[in-house]
Parts: sequence; C-alpha cells; structure tokens
Amino acid sequence: MSPLLEVTNLSVAYGAIEAVRDVSFSVAEGQIVSLIGSNGAGKTTTLRTISGLLRPKSGTVRFEDQPIEKLPAHTILGRGIAHCPEGRRLFGRMTVEENLHLGAYVRKDNGVAADMSRVYDLFPVLGQRRHQKAGLFSGGEQQMLAIGRAMMSKPRLLMLDEPSMGLSPIMTQRIFDTIRELQSQGTTILLVEQNALAALALSDRGYVVDLGRTTLEGPGRDLLADQRVRAAYLGEG
Amino acid sequence: MNIPPGWSWLGQFLLYVAAGLLVIWLLVTGYRALARFLGGRPGLVRPLAIAGGVLAVVGALLPWVTFPLNDGPYPDLATLQFFDAPFAVTGFRLFTLITGVAAIALSFVPRIPVRRVLRALGLGLAGVALVNTIFPLIDGGGFGAITAADGAFAFGGIVTLVASLVLFFVSKAGDLEPLPRWNTKVPRLVAYAALLVSFLVLLFAVARLLNSGSDSGGGSTTYSGPIFLSLLVFFAGLFGALHAIGFAGWLSAVSDDHKLFSVLVLLLAALALPFTEAGTDYWMTIAANIGVYAATAIGLNIVVGLAGLLDLGYVAFLGIGAFVAANLSGAAAAEFHIHLPFVVAALVSATVAGVFGAIVGSPTLRVRGDYLAIVTLAFGEIFKKAAQNNIGGLTGGANAIPGVPPISWFGASFDESFTIGGVQLPSGVLYYVLIIVLVSVVMLVFANLKNSRIGRAWIAIREDEDAARAMGIKTGQAKILAFLIGATLAGLAGSVFAHKTSTVAYDSFQFPESVTLLAAVILGGMGTIPGAVIGASLLLILPEKLRDFSDYRLLLFGLALVLIMRFRPQGIVPDRHRRAELAGEAEGGVPIEELNVPDSPQGATR
Amino acid sequence: MATLLQQLTSGLVLGALIALIALGYTMVYGIIQLINFAHGEVFMVSVFGALATYKWFIPQSWQGTWQIALPCMLVGAVLVAVVLAVLMERFAYRPLRNAPRLAPLITALGVSVMLKEFVRNFFPGATAAVSVPRAFVDKAITFAVPGGTVVIQSTGILLVVVSIIGAVLLQTYITRSRMGRAMRATAQDPDTARLMGVDPNRTIVLTFVIGGALAGLAAVLYGIHINTVDTEAGFLNGIFAFTAAVLGGVGSIKGAVIGGFTIGVIKTMAGQYFPGGTEYDLVWIFVLLIVVLVFRPQGLFGEPERVRA
Repeated sequence: MSPLLEVTNLSVAYGAIEAVRDVSFSVAEGQIVSLIGSNGAGKTTTLRTISGLLRPKSGTVRFEDQPIEKLPAHTILGRGIAHCPEGRRLFGRMTVEENLHLGAYVRKDNGVAADMSRVYDLFPVLGQRRHQKAGLFSGGEQQMLAIGRAMMSKPRLLMLDEPSMGLSPIMTQRIFDTIRELQSQGTTILLVEQNALAALALSDRGYVVDLGRTTLEGPGRDLLADQRVRAAYLGEG
Repeated sequence: MNIPPGWSWLGQFLLYVAAGLLVIWLLVTGYRALARFLGGRPGLVRPLAIAGGVLAVVGALLPWVTFPLNDGPYPDLATLQFFDAPFAVTGFRLFTLITGVAAIALSFVPRIPVRRVLRALGLGLAGVALVNTIFPLIDGGGFGAITAADGAFAFGGIVTLVASLVLFFVSKAGDLEPLPRWNTKVPRLVAYAALLVSFLVLLFAVARLLNSGSDSGGGSTTYSGPIFLSLLVFFAGLFGALHAIGFAGWLSAVSDDHKLFSVLVLLLAALALPFTEAGTDYWMTIAANIGVYAATAIGLNIVVGLAGLLDLGYVAFLGIGAFVAANLSGAAAAEFHIHLPFVVAALVSATVAGVFGAIVGSPTLRVRGDYLAIVTLAFGEIFKKAAQNNIGGLTGGANAIPGVPPISWFGASFDESFTIGGVQLPSGVLYYVLIIVLVSVVMLVFANLKNSRIGRAWIAIREDEDAARAMGIKTGQAKILAFLIGATLAGLAGSVFAHKTSTVAYDSFQFPESVTLLAAVILGGMGTIPGAVIGASLLLILPEKLRDFSDYRLLLFGLALVLIMRFRPQGIVPDRHRRAELAGEAEGGVPIEELNVPDSPQGATR
Repeated sequence: MATLLQQLTSGLVLGALIALIALGYTMVYGIIQLINFAHGEVFMVSVFGALATYKWFIPQSWQGTWQIALPCMLVGAVLVAVVLAVLMERFAYRPLRNAPRLAPLITALGVSVMLKEFVRNFFPGATAAVSVPRAFVDKAITFAVPGGTVVIQSTGILLVVVSIIGAVLLQTYITRSRMGRAMRATAQDPDTARLMGVDPNRTIVLTFVIGGALAGLAAVLYGIHINTVDTEAGFLNGIFAFTAAVLGGVGSIKGAVIGGFTIGVIKTMAGQYFPGGTEYDLVWIFVLLIVVLVFRPQGLFGEPERVRA
C-alpha cells in the first residue's frame, strides 16, 4: 500500500536562497512521523510547502496518491491535511469558539457542533472560556486551541509544527499525550520538533533534516539510539 | 409603452465588450500558438525577416487612406486620391520603407543579435502602422477611411501592420540572444568623439521631434499628432535596435567613464536647442514649463524616489514659491510693494517653501506609509483652499496675482528676443537658459545628495524604516530633511514660474498638477536623475502634440499610471543601483507569499 | 438655538452619507491594508449610474412613481458600483498584491483619475454639474424650536436611517456569518486563514463587493437628496469618508459610522461658527485628520498596528 503522504526530492527556495534541497520522506497511514533537526534546517519550510503556502522549485508532494504540490493553499485542507503552524497563529482577536468555527470552515456537514464539544471534552479549559478572545490565553492553552482548531476539519493527516515551543515541561507532556491520543483515534500525524527526544520517543518513524536535506531516517526508537542523533540533537556526545 | 433609450445603448455596449474580449482572446491565443510554433525553429529567422521586410516596403508604397479626411488630405501623400507618385515616399511611409529595407539587410549581417534587433524594429513599425491606421479611422469616422464603398482599398496600414507582426515574431524563433557587450576600454579621443556625435544626433533628433508636424512657429497643426507619434515610435524602434546590438549599453558605460565630459556636452547640447529648428517662441515657452516641472519633479523624486515617502500635495510647494516670488516682484496686485532682485526673491521663495516642507513633513515622525500620503494630500488641499480664498491678501484669490514683471538683468528683460552672432534667437530664450541652469543645479543637488550619507539614509528608510532606525539612522530628521530639501527645490522652481507666466493663480496648483508631478517621477523612473526630466518632458509635450485628445489627457494619464505600476514599475529609466523597490524581487523561483494565490492550479507554478 | 439645531441636523445627514462611504474604505483597508483611493470615485460613478438609470432606463411614465423609480435606481447604482469595484480589484490591485506598498496606492490614484475623467468625458453634460430630477421624495418636515424652525428633508431622514441600519446589518454579518469570520480571519492573518481553507481571493472580492454595494446605496440616497451632481462629488466625499474611517479607526465598522457622523457635524458646524466659514470647513476637517493621525494613528476605535508572528 502506498503511503498517505509522500514527499520526493523536494526543493524550495526563497529567492536565491534554498531553504530545502532534496528532502524526501513518507508518512504511512496511522503513523506518527517526526521530522527533527536544528533551527533553520528547513522543517517549517517543508510543512509550509506541503500546505501550499510555498511553491516548490522542484520535487513532488503526493497525498493519497494525488500530486498536491501545485494546489493553492486553501484547497489543501479540503483534501484532508490540517496544518497547525509554528507559533500557533491563532486568530487572537477572535473568541475560542470563532477559532474553532474557522477550523471547520470547509465543512458542510452538520457535525460541527458535536465535534466542537468533543474538543471541549478533550480540553475542558477551552470549553470554560469559549467566549474569550484567544489572544488572552497562555501558551499551553493556545497550543490546545491550535490543535483543537486543526482537528475541527477532521483531517486524515495532521501536521504539527513545533507544538512544544515555549511550553513548560508539564504542558509539553500534556500536548504529547494528546498527540498520541489523536493517533489512537485514527489520525495520521506529521510532527516537526526541535525537542527531538520527546518527538522520537513518540514516533513510529523519524527523519533528521539538516541544512535542507534528510540525512538520517528510521524508526523513532532506532534514531533515538543512534549515536549521531544523540550527539547532534540530544546534547550528548 | 416606449422602451427607454438606455437599454439599446446597454445592449450595444455589452456587445462591444463581448466582441472586444473575443478579439483579445483570439489575439492572445494566436500569439501563444505562433510563439510555440516558432519556438524551436531558428531556421525561420531569415525567411521571416525577408518576408516582413518585403511586406513593409510594399506597405510603404501603398496608399493608407481612401479619401481626404475632414481636416484635409492625410500627410505624406498617403491618400488614395493623391496617389499619383507612389515613389515620392516621405514621413511615416519613409520610416516604413527604411524599416523594411533595414530588416532585410540586417538579416544577412553576421554576428549581431538579429532576433533582438528585429523585435525592436518590429515594435517600432507596429507603432507607426497603428498610429497611421487608427488616426484616419477616428478622424475619418470609421473604416470607410481605409476601405471605400466602391471597392477602393487603402491597404498600406494593414500591410504594414502585418509586416510589423512578422518582424516581431522573428524574435520568437528561438531564444533571444544575450545582449552583446562591447569593449568599453577605448581611447579617450574615440570616447569623446562618440559621445559628442551621439549627443549632437540626440539634439537634432529632439529638435526634429519637437517640430514634427508643426507650423513655422512651432505650434501644432491638424496632423501634428500622428506625425509626431510616428516619428517618436520610429525613433524608439531605432533606439531599440541600437540597444539590441549593444551600442546603447556601450555608450552609457563610456559616458559613465567620462562623466564630466558627458555632462558638459549634454549641457551644451541643451543650451544649443534654441539654435536648431526648435528655436521658436513657442517651444521656448514649452521648454521653460517643462524645466519648471522637471525641477519640481526632481525635488519630489527626493521625497518619493529616495526616501520612499509618497507626497500627494507636492505642487503646493511650487505654488508657495511662485506666490512668494510674485509678492516680492513689485507686481501691482502684490501684498508687499517691494521689488527684490530676482536672485534674492528666488532664495526667499525657496526658503519659505522649504520651511513649509519641513512643516508638512513633520507628521512623518508619527505617521507612516499610506497615512502619510493622505496627510500630504490634506496639506495640498489646505494650501489650495487658502490660496483660493486669498489668505492674508497674499494670493489674490480668484483674481490671482497678475502683472508679475519678467526677470530683468543688466537691463535685458528675459521675455525679449535678441540676436547673437547674426542669429535671431526667439523670445524667452533667456528664460530657457535660466531654466537649463536651474535644472542643472537641481540635478547636481540631487546627484550629490543621492550618493551622500543622507542619501544612503533615505534609501535605507525607504527599504526598511525600522531596520534603518536600528542601524542608528535618525529617521525622523532624515525624513523631514527630505521634505525640506525637496520643497526648497520646488520653491526655487516656483519663483521662476511666477516670472515666466507673469500671472500666478491658485488653480495652477491643484491636485491634478500634483498627480502630474508624481506621474513624471514614476514614468521617468523613481530615484533616477534623468527620469524626472524625461517624464516631465513627455507629460508636457504629448498634450501639445495631441491637441485633439486634450479632453482625454487625464484619462490617459490615469490609465498610464495603472499600466506602469502593472508592467514597468521601475519607469523608463530604471535606477540600476538600487534593489528596485517597485519592481519587487521577482527573480528566479520565488515562493508565493502572503495572499498571492494563483487563480487556478494550472497557473500555480511561476 | 435654531441655527445650531439646523446645522446639527444637516451635519448628521451629511455624516450618514460619509459613514456609508467610509464603510467601504474601512473594510478594504482592514483586509488588505490598501487605501482604496478610488472608492470615492466609485461612489461618484454610481451616482451617475443612478441618474442614468432614472433618465434612460425607466420609461417616462414611471419616472414620477418613486415606488418603482427608487428601487430601479438602487439596482442600477449598486450594479455599477459592484461591477466597478470587482473589476478594479481583479485587474488593478490583485496583480500588485506582493508589490511594495507605494505601487497599489499609485494604482489607486490612477484608477480614481480614470474614473473621474471617464464620467466627465462620456456622461452627457457631466463636464459641468448635472441637475438631478426632483420628481419624488421631496418632502420637508419642519420642526418648531425655540427661536425659529428646523427643516429636515425626508431624504435626509432616509439617509440617516439607512446608514445606521446598514452599519448594524454589516456588523452582524461580519461577526456572525461564516464568510464574515473568514473575512476577519484573512484580515488578521492571511496565511493562517488559508490553512483554514479560506480562499483569500474570494474573501477579498467579497469585501470589495460589499464596499461597492454600500457606495451604490449611498449614491442613490445622495442622488435623491441633492439638487445637482458633478464629478467632484467623488473626490471630496471620498476624502471625507476616508478621514472618517481613519478617525474612527480603520477596520472598525463602529468607528467608521461614528467617524462619519463626527465629520459631518464638524463640517457644518465649522461652516457656521469657525473663522472663515464654509470656505474653510474642509480645512478644519483636514486639520482634524492630521491631528488624529499624529496623536492617535490607530483612530478612536482602532486596534494598534497589528503584529504578525
């Protein structure tokens, strides 16, 4: 069976600067796959290209065996890919509920209200403060809302960009638990993290991105044990 | 019940729109198909060039108009009725002939970028053909002007149009060649000679252009519009060809190497204009107006082009300068009954305008971008209202300040004509000289500022104000200084303007004039020195030559602004030393940013 | 007292007109940070559109019946304004969306010059002021107040009522509807809005459509309220409306309405009581604009310049 998402030889450039050169990886249905790497390695650029916010210079992105690298960004969500961007990017001047409504913008069915209460069950704090402006929330709460918002579209693939950024260890743990739970409910997850330890521990498969290339790959546990990974990203050596 | 007349009009209108869209679609589709067909067939270059050239020659020898139009027979014996001498080819038919012969000849010349050259010539020829086809159509009231009912055809225009398209499509047979680079290390004497000859040719070309289609005094005649435009596009085509073979680039490099000499020769050439056929009262007046606008536009160029601050009320500074000068000129209607020497009055005008510039510029400390543009617009309107209501008795209100005396030095009044070495010079020539001096001074100021510390500070502010501030540039000071200096230059120009026109009225300084100035800067090229002068010249000469279209002047203006921003935001003379702010950075494989979403998945890659 | 009240009433009527136009400025600026300089001219063109509808598209026998003529004019004016606004967005502004900010502003300037000149050249008689037929809705109501009377035109009342209702409806649409949310999301963070599946082009076109429709509405009400129109109507009312939008805080609907009424009242009051009278009323408005921009650039109800991560 072909993977849910397959990225092949992807290159992306900002003007003359190539942020991503020749990145390849694939995400199989039901897995958690993480891309790890240092700052500026091109992870975020890769995700933004998959969502159509950037155009690749070359290479292909296939989702469910369809090429999607030329589609405009607003049609990507409808295909089943939700992108929870770096820095959360909530609509700070809108309420929690409005943010969740926007997450469900492309949906035409009647299940939105039910899904919204499911998000509130998952994150009770959001339910309690549903009429407050999202900009007033703490980092962890914002991350919950961002994940909740992404889930509102009922995606087949959820892409999370640095969900642990700026969060306390407890909150980070909470978010990672949530990710695992989402996986168990059947959502495939592509995770981009600097927190390589936590990400790899969670992942079925991991890819190390360095200077715009995929340099190492393997099951999360194997990578976690890999000496080079430990030296570069886990501060050991 | 009668159907109201609007509906049938609307029906017709929509029909025309639909037909227009269809034609455009056909043209675009045809263009793409042809370009694709020619793509990999460089072998077609010569046959196409010869075919196009032959067609052009044929076009030149054919009549272009079937009957004498309302305004008299079409120039250059192009009317069918007068067509007894097909080989007496002049004017635009001569241009057509020359282009055709040149195209054939050039296709045999080795080692020149034929496709590039023929593209330029083809575009020029297309201009000639279009001008001399469309004008008879409009003046003659329809297609009867080129096809008569009795089956008599005047195919010249159509054939030439086809010829120009054929020549243009030569450039699609294969990729465009790279621009040839000539050796710029030439002996000094050769360089001097080349520059001298080039500027002389330029001088005579400009004089011919100005007087094309004019009566003996230089004023416009019935057909001066098409005659002028034909010559203009023909020259443009020739210049394009010179550029294509690398000559223009070489000349510009050489003149960069010998800057002082080039500037001197250019200045002398400008001063020599009164001695050419354009040395008439009429053109001296126009030239003086161009100079005033050019000097003001260069001032505006500091504010907009260098510092990136959009000013929509700039003409007010010209007005302030003019009113101050008028009040100090001893005119009977002036508030102050003193008559200062011109130089003093000019300095006072410039200073006062500069002070107002600083005042208008002061909101820049707090207000940015679009908002600033609106603030300047507001200041412009406040000035207009104040002048209209004769504030403090200084502007004369609706009566204006008439009777500003001409400038007079050593007993010579500037509006008289006089004779040098047996040559009778037109009246107003002294103003012309004064204006040349003024524009040169303003250019010098601009050039020095641009390459100075403050100039670099302005450019930094234009590119990124926050970054500039972070680098330690005192942005507030720099911005106010931009306004101050720009306004000073405008005020200086205003003082000359007051004396030259002799009547200073508020309605010379309204919003459309500000837009004209801005258009001059943008059309010419933001941030460049020759840009503002070229822009101002075009914007003032075209209306003179196209009197028939004067009602549509502003309409075409607006259209031009929109089209320039869309297709050539860097203007006619782009600023090559700067990261073109208005051109964006659209080189190479740029990611789509922000909101720029392609309309369709197919159009997504670019 | 009577004079004061009369000026206040006239000011409110003018303010209502300004507010309707200001909504178009504020919405477009809110979403793409473009001062749609040509918006005032769109208003002007649709005044002439309404006039043309009345003169040439309604059979003469119906022209006197306002129940028929008014809706027809409304359709005509709104159609003209919306088509113009959409064409403008598509062909003038959209290609420049990534260009530096000066470019679209200059384009807007060009478009506004074009629109004005187009009407001046091609609308029969528009080189001078064109008189507006006053066959209908020309009833004045007179109130007795201490020291005299206050006269208010029925069309003036209509203007005030419509503009307030329009603003309330718009506010509801923006805050409650799915498209309204999409518009606000695009305004706040276009990239993330796209990740939510919002098509920015559609959203922006919709914004222009709404702004155009409101300008068309304003145009009809203005057309029946005044005696003559000329091509200057767009420039001045546009500037007033823009000032109102800035005063209230660009992007804020409430701000545009309150700003509009404020400007209207200040204009009539300045014409009556300030030095210089009506000759300088415009100057006072500009002075107010400059002061507001310098001391409170975000306007009365605006949010401070947005910060994007």
